Amino acid sequence: MTAESAMQLIDVKKNIGSKQIIKGLNFDIYPGEVFGFLGPNGAGKTTTIRMMVGLMKLTEGDVLIEGKSIKTEYKEAIRRVGAIVENPEMYPFMTGWKNLQHYARMMPAVTEERIKEVVTLVGLDKAINEKVGRYSLGMRQRLGIAQALLHNPSILILDEPTNGLDPSGIREIRRYIRNLAEKENVAVIVSSHLLSEIELMCDRIGIIKNGELIAIETVQEALNKTDVKDIHIEAVPLETGRNIVQEKLQINAAIEKEELVLSAKREEIPSIIKSLVDGQVEIFGVQVKRSTLEDKFLDLIGENTIE
Amino acid sequence: MNLVYNEQVKLYARKSTWIMFVILAVIILGIAILGKTVGDLGNEEYGEDWRQQLEQENAELTEGMDEEQIAYDQVVKENNYYLENDIKPQNYDVWQSVIDNSMLSALLSLFTIIVAAGIVAHEFRWGTIKLLLIRPVSRTKILFSKYVSVLLFALTSLVFLLLFSWLTGAVFFGVNGINPTLVLNSGDGFVQVSALHEITRSYGFSLVNLVMMSALAFMISSIFRNSGLAIGFAIFLMMAGSSIMGFFLQYDWAKFILFANTNLDQYYRGTPLIEGMTLPFSVMVLLVYYLVFLVLSWVFFTKRDVAGH
Repeated sequence: MTAESAMQLIDVKKNIGSKQIIKGLNFDIYPGEVFGFLGPNGAGKTTTIRMMVGLMKLTEGDVLIEGKSIKTEYKEAIRRVGAIVENPEMYPFMTGWKNLQHYARMMPAVTEERIKEVVTLVGLDKAINEKVGRYSLGMRQRLGIAQALLHNPSILILDEPTNGLDPSGIREIRRYIRNLAEKENVAVIVSSHLLSEIELMCDRIGIIKNGELIAIETVQEALNKTDVKDIHIEAVPLETGRNIVQEKLQINAAIEKEELVLSAKREEIPSIIKSLVDGQVEIFGVQVKRSTLEDKFLDLIGENTIE
Repeated sequence: MNLVYNEQVKLYARKSTWIMFVILAVIILGIAILGKTVGDLGNEEYGEDWRQQLEQENAELTEGMDEEQIAYDQVVKENNYYLENDIKPQNYDVWQSVIDNSMLSALLSLFTIIVAAGIVAHEFRWGTIKLLLIRPVSRTKILFSKYVSVLLFALTSLVFLLLFSWLTGAVFFGVNGINPTLVLNSGDGFVQVSALHEITRSYGFSLVNLVMMSALAFMISSIFRNSGLAIGFAIFLMMAGSSIMGFFLQYDWAKFILFANTNLDQYYRGTPLIEGMTLPFSVMVLLVYYLVFLVLSWVFFTKRDVAGH
């Protein structure tokens, strides 16, 4: 990625009282990518997001949005950003439409047509004239996204966007997040503590733990890098197979549900199969289970300790 | 000013705001109905023979009183003033009822305090402050628009109070001319004033209290982000102001206390609370308090982080 970064965090630190809760974050987010901001609860995700949008002041460092500092050029910087911070809270006593109008009035050049367009985009046409107080959490989440998209931002920040959505809602949101990134070249930052979610919609992930960024990599890398894989072999007879693997190849194997289960590196797989075939073991299937991001994630963060 | 418009939309989108106006209307109507039916307001008609009527009234009133009591009886005094100055007393009418309703401006202060206390604190309670502050608008402007909105509300409800009082008064008690002269008791005797002058005076002075108390509520609201606290504290101070003054009256610095100065009427009727206080002095003290309230609101609103609940 050589593109100009949409958002840049430069040694961002935050102290609350005498405690440093964000300990120097450095990373870039580029146009057209979905960046997953991953971390256990209390790791500093929301605090970082609040600093990105200027709700909290930075103790040290800077956040640049398209090159504009959130500290010194706040208006120019924030103009390009749409965000939901934590829950999408709206005025419950007003209709969805009035809520959107309210926020539209605070930004330059948002027309009625644009509001309608956004409402259609998030699929709220039917409910838009109802009071937000009657909305379900999923509907409010959609309205929150609508609100963030009003002014055609080039950076979209969504804090836990799928919170409270049902599976089909999650899929829909995932789809238009991807759409925004791919078609409109928006840089999307999605925070979550749900790994499966990040895995499905993000291009890159940053993992934060106790206020520090402990890893940043593309989703594909994260999945391929772990070279030891779980291999499931459907073989008959199982006992013979296990003996061959353990004695000839010195690899520990177990029998689980009519399958031989063992851990090995990718390049060892052919020799394992060869040995089994040579030993008169019939093989009906071989499955290589990629270790999921979840394992990777747990590997990286270890136990979540709140300092 | 889109921001002020936004604030007004939010204010009037809530039922509680309308309830305030309904309460105000009901009380004005109630006072008028009570005055008309139970009390004797507007029932005394003074005709051509108003001199005899007054004499007769006095005679009835003073029956069985001794000299001292008569000297202190306000009605007798007032009647004598009419007789001495040869003025025909006005019948109770719309102008007097509007003046009497100026006591309702205390209610107006109460409502304004509630609005001022909520306008910042509610955004925090609803969590909408986060979405409000991530716009290309400075926090100073947002706070300012909120304060302007409070003042607009106060003005709107004042106009409502005046108009509705006038209309109710006109229906129940009739209109005696455009701007009649009234005889009123000023601290040291009766004087003749025009009705409009008296209305401006009585409402005007009560506004001082309203503006000060709502600025206080606004400040507490933006510092503590809690409307209940702001409402409670401001109303407590509004009610307890005079007792607090009584407590500190013995000290030299008592004249610098806000409540010693909120009642500017003291320079027009009667004597100042503390010797040596003058109108310019009070205005200065009020201005200083006012600025402190607003500057503190501003500092806390613009400088502080918006953290989680």
